[in-house]
Formats: sequence, structure tokens, C-alpha cells
Amino acid sequence: MWLRRHPYLLPWTALLLALLAVGGIAAFQVYSRGLVVTGMSDEVPWGLWIAVDLSAIGLGAGAFLLSAAIHLLRLRDFQPLGRVAVLVGLLGYTSAVLALLLDLGRPERFWHPLVFWNPHSVLWEITMCVVLYTGVLVLEFAPVVGQASWMKSRLPRLARLLQRGHALAPALALAGLFLSLLHQSSLGATYGVIPSRPLWGNPGTAVLFLAHAVAAGPALTLLATLGAERVLGREVVPLPTLLRLGRFVGIALAAYLYMRLWDILAMSYTHLPGRIEGLEMLTGGLLTGPFWIGEILLGGLIPAILLLIPRLRERPGILALSSFLTVAGLVVARWDVNLSSMFIRAGYIPGQTVAPLPSYRPTWVEWTTTAAILAYALLSYTWSLHLLPLFSQEQAQESAKLARRAFEPSAER
Amino acid sequence: MQRKISRREFLGLLAAAGLSPLAASLARLWNRLQTAPSRAAPEGFSPQSPHRWVMVIDQGGCIGCNYCTYACLAVNDVRPDAPWNKLLIQAELAGGRIYLPQPCMHCEHPPCVSVCPVGATYRRPDGLVVMDYDRCIGCRYCMVACPYETRHFNWEQWDGPNPYVPDFGAPEVPRRSRGVVEKCTFCLQRIERGLALGLTPGVDREATPACVTECPVQARFFGDLNDPQSTVSRLLAERPSLRLREDLGTSPRVYYLTSLAGVPPTTPPERRP
Repeated sequence: MWLRRHPYLLPWTALLLALLAVGGIAAFQVYSRGLVVTGMSDEVPWGLWIAVDLSAIGLGAGAFLLSAAIHLLRLRDFQPLGRVAVLVGLLGYTSAVLALLLDLGRPERFWHPLVFWNPHSVLWEITMCVVLYTGVLVLEFAPVVGQASWMKSRLPRLARLLQRGHALAPALALAGLFLSLLHQSSLGATYGVIPSRPLWGNPGTAVLFLAHAVAAGPALTLLATLGAERVLGREVVPLPTLLRLGRFVGIALAAYLYMRLWDILAMSYTHLPGRIEGLEMLTGGLLTGPFWIGEILLGGLIPAILLLIPRLRERPGILALSSFLTVAGLVVARWDVNLSSMFIRAGYIPGQTVAPLPSYRPTWVEWTTTAAILAYALLSYTWSLHLLPLFSQEQAQESAKLARRAFEPSAER
Repeated sequence: MQRKISRREFLGLLAAAGLSPLAASLARLWNRLQTAPSRAAPEGFSPQSPHRWVMVIDQGGCIGCNYCTYACLAVNDVRPDAPWNKLLIQAELAGGRIYLPQPCMHCEHPPCVSVCPVGATYRRPDGLVVMDYDRCIGCRYCMVACPYETRHFNWEQWDGPNPYVPDFGAPEVPRRSRGVVEKCTFCLQRIERGLALGLTPGVDREATPACVTECPVQARFFGDLNDPQSTVSRLLAERPSLRLREDLGTSPRVYYLTSLAGVPPTTPPERRP
């Protein structure tokens, strides 16, 4: 059946399983010997895994945005994107949890923030929001599982129970919006509230993180949908709907870049100890490549331009490329924020502006576990494509009709 | 006959059921935000402690012998590569060096305490910033937040012998386990035991931090800033002092008496492990 129809599936699954196995070996190293097997140190206590956390959560933002667009703003033409957005969000948040379980010194105490509250801590707030929102995503995704044909035939009662979640959709969308607006921005505040990390110690980080997630989250949803069309060999979401989402990503990305520009410009005039040093590291030092090429040019300006010019956006290849660049741009930006925060530390010896530059190089354990987390997300997505009704034909037809009406208003009358 | 519940009613009931614990949680959260981020005082401590423990370090007297560090390594059973008390060199001058011995600052407004997601690090009423090693999850956010780099993570289990025992003292606290953050406590165990025995921290050796008692040139002082007769109160009244990075608003409880009489001699005494 479809295994024969999709010859890519076996080698692709084998590759991802191999990555998961290698990552599993590395994770065993972490749990048996401790975090000494990473490249982190007392000077650089947060490394690659934190960048994975920040990226995975940021890229999961498509779920709350599209749920809100569909159920709260009632933009019904986005409906065919709702399920895939929720799945991408769910995979993003669970990936972040996986990275966090590796990164914690005492992973068996992961539940402590739920019991021992410190409401003054942005990290506590993020933990609570991520836990609650992952629950929201599970509930939002339950009806999709309930609609799978194999669920209906084998576990009809459970399938009916799961499908009942449909009624909750608007409430869940509201809860998701509330929780996401909180923690997507406080991810940036994690760095913004730290006076000893002068480069990012400003309230702007919170807004920047949210704005970037609003752009790149839907970009990943778009990319996942285009990938699904490629794999399934048919159109699952009408092109006008995808183009509309692409236009939204372009506008959001341009807005983010505008705020980023002012953040950088304002930073260079504050003369706060360490801020100039940090800026120099980004614009002409250690992180020049990731910053100018990865974050600003390839991850920002180019996709924003490609997505904002209709003639370019309308080519599917360009749409996919610019979505990918937007997604990669967010990953690079979060890597930059974390690493530059670790590297540029306020000096505390009298007369010392910044502390001596530490060094950090992720070890094979960090790289392979990161690859394994990515493999987990890709594997889950691939098999969901084939096993779950991620895209509904009725929704796509309705969306196409709505799009036609929007483009040809005279024809309706 | 059973009455059928409409969807609207069902959603309303569901919302009510969901909102009542939420409201309770919000009330709890609000209460928490009203109070300072400190924990309930342990048995025997009044919420308003009569004490304000501070440390005063005389940079003019410090000769850089590192005994403070060694004593701390032994008494608190600390890994030698991650000492709670560091000896930094502030300046190299023609005649010698100016040293900056550095324990935890025990800030009045500690950034580490406000960021800890589980309240594992907290400020006691008497001003000591301490760790609950059983609660710490090892996220290391406190290390990111600390402006003074006084926090250390247990990257692996340390089972080796402590090279500073017994030359510089015997361990008074258990070793920390892998995966938690640790830091200077101002030798909390000595202060608590000393107070229970009626001793005065800063005056009686048994009740005073090891780095202070082991300093061979009496360049470190410990005591109660609430007691105007204490050595620390008098020193801070008589001599100019500074605290590290006061501009950050942390208000440290470690004061440095600046070097007045030029540069101290730099020949450390003989005893080394």
C-alpha cells in the first residue's frame, strides 16, 4: 500500500532511527557521567541545548497564531492549516522538553517548578506556561487522532471521545493565545532581566523574541505544509491560502527586522559597560558570520523581500526557500543571543569593563543529541503525515472557495 | 427524564470548573508576589532577624597567600577547581600586587534568588543567600544571573580525596551531589551552631567563617552590622570602603577596605599543601 507508494519512507525512517540511536547513546553518557561530557562550563553555563529550547518553542508559535486566526478571528480560509500547525507546535514543544531533560542537572526533579513556586522568576513562568500550553496542544490535537480511520475502526469509543475535543477549540485557542503571548516573550526576558549580561539586559528582548516567533512560527508551518505536498504528491492546502500566510510571514519578519534595527542602534548609544563590547562581537568579531549573514541577510532581509513581492512569492520554490530561511534565521538569532550573553559578562573587578572571554565548543554529545531531537520531530511528522488525517479535503475546498471569492468578487455577484 | 444540557451550558459549566482552581491559583500567586522572594524562616529564626551579617576585606592587608581559599576548600569540602572563595588580582603595580579575595557577595537584592524557578536559592532573614540542594534542579539560571561569578555547578560527581584536608581543616558540611549548583554560605553551619551556643560570630572563632579565621594577616573581618560595637561596624565607619559593581543595584554584603598605605608585600608564607 502506501509504503510501496512512498519508496522514500523506508530509507528515511532508517536514517532518522539511526540518528535517534546515536543520540540515545550520547544521552546515556549524559545521564551516567553528568554534564561534564558537554562543552559547557561555569563561565558558559548555557550552550547548544538552550539554543534548541529557545528555537523549538519559538518555531512552535505557528500553532497558537493559526488557532487564534481560525477560531477567534474566524479566518476560515486558514482552516486547512490548523491541524498541521498544531502538530508542528506539539513537536516543537516536546522537542524543547527533550532538550531540557538533557540540560537539567537533576532531570528527575523536572516537576519541581510546578510544586515549588517562585513567581518572581521568568523561568518559572515559562515552565508553567510551557507545561500548560503543551497540554492545550495535546487537547487541540486529540480530535485529529480521533478522526484517523484506523482509530475509528479499532478503538471507536476512544476515537469518539477524542473527537469531542472539537467543541473546545475556541476555548483552547484563547488559552493558547494567552499562554503563548506570555512565554514567547518571557523567553527573551530570560536574557533581558539579567543586569550582569549587558548586551541583552534590556526590556526589548522580550518584544523581539515574540515578534520573531510570530514571523518564524507560521513560516515553519508553511514549510511543513509544502513538504507534505511534496511527499503526498497532491495539493493539501490551496495555494492562495499558503500565499496569504507567506505574505503574513513577510510582514511580520519586516516588522521584526525594524525593531531589531532600533534595538541595535539604541544599544550603541547607551554606553553601558559591556554593551559596546557585545555589539562589536556581533558586528565585527566572533559572531560576525552568524549575525550579518545568518541572522540579518539570509535569515531576515532576503526572505522578507522574497515574501513581500507578490511576483516572487507566487513561485512555490521561492515560498519554500523563504520559509526555510526565516526558520533558520530564528535558530541562528537565538543561538547568537544565548552565546553572546554567555560571552559578554559584566566585569566585577574594579576597573574591568567585561570579564575575560570564555570559550565554548559543543561536544559530540551535544551535537548528536541535538540531531536526535530533530530526528524525533521529523520522524513523528513523517509518520503523522501518513497515519493521521492532517489535511481535510472539505476544509481545503472551502478555503479554495473563500479564496476565489476574495480574488474574484465580481464573479460571485 | 433527564434534562439535556445544551452545548452552551456545558461550556459554561466547564469554564466554571476550570476557572475556580485558576482563581485560587491566581490568589496564591498574588500573595506570593506581595512578599519578598525569601523563604519561611527555619525554626528558631524570627522573620525579622536581629542580625545583618557582613564581611569586610582589607585589600591593603591582603598578601595573596590564598589561605582563605584553602580553608574554605577544606571546611566546606569544595572541589579545588571551583573554589567558593577566589583570590583575584586586581592590579599589578611596580611594587607588587593588589589582591581581591572574593567570596559570595550575599547581596541584599540577589539576582540569583529572583531568577531561580523553584526557589532553591533564597535569602534568609539575616541576609545570607543560601542554597537548598534538595530542591535545585540544576538549570543554572542563577549562574547566568550572578554578576560576580560566585556560583559553581557540579558537572560531575566528585569522589576524590580533598587535598586540603586535614591541613586546612576538616569538612563540616556534606559534599554536594552531581547536578546541583553550589556557592559560598558564609559558613552558615558555624554561624547557626555558634548562635545556638551563645557565641558571637565574628568574635568567637567557632562561630566565624573559615576564610576569616584562617587569614594569617587578619585582612578579613566578619560580624553584625546591626551591632554598632562590632569590628565590621567600626571599620566601615572609620575607613573608606567599596562594594563590587554597586551600579547593578545588588547591594552586596561584602565590603572592601581599599589599600591606603600603598602596596602590600607579596611574599606568601611557606605553608602549602
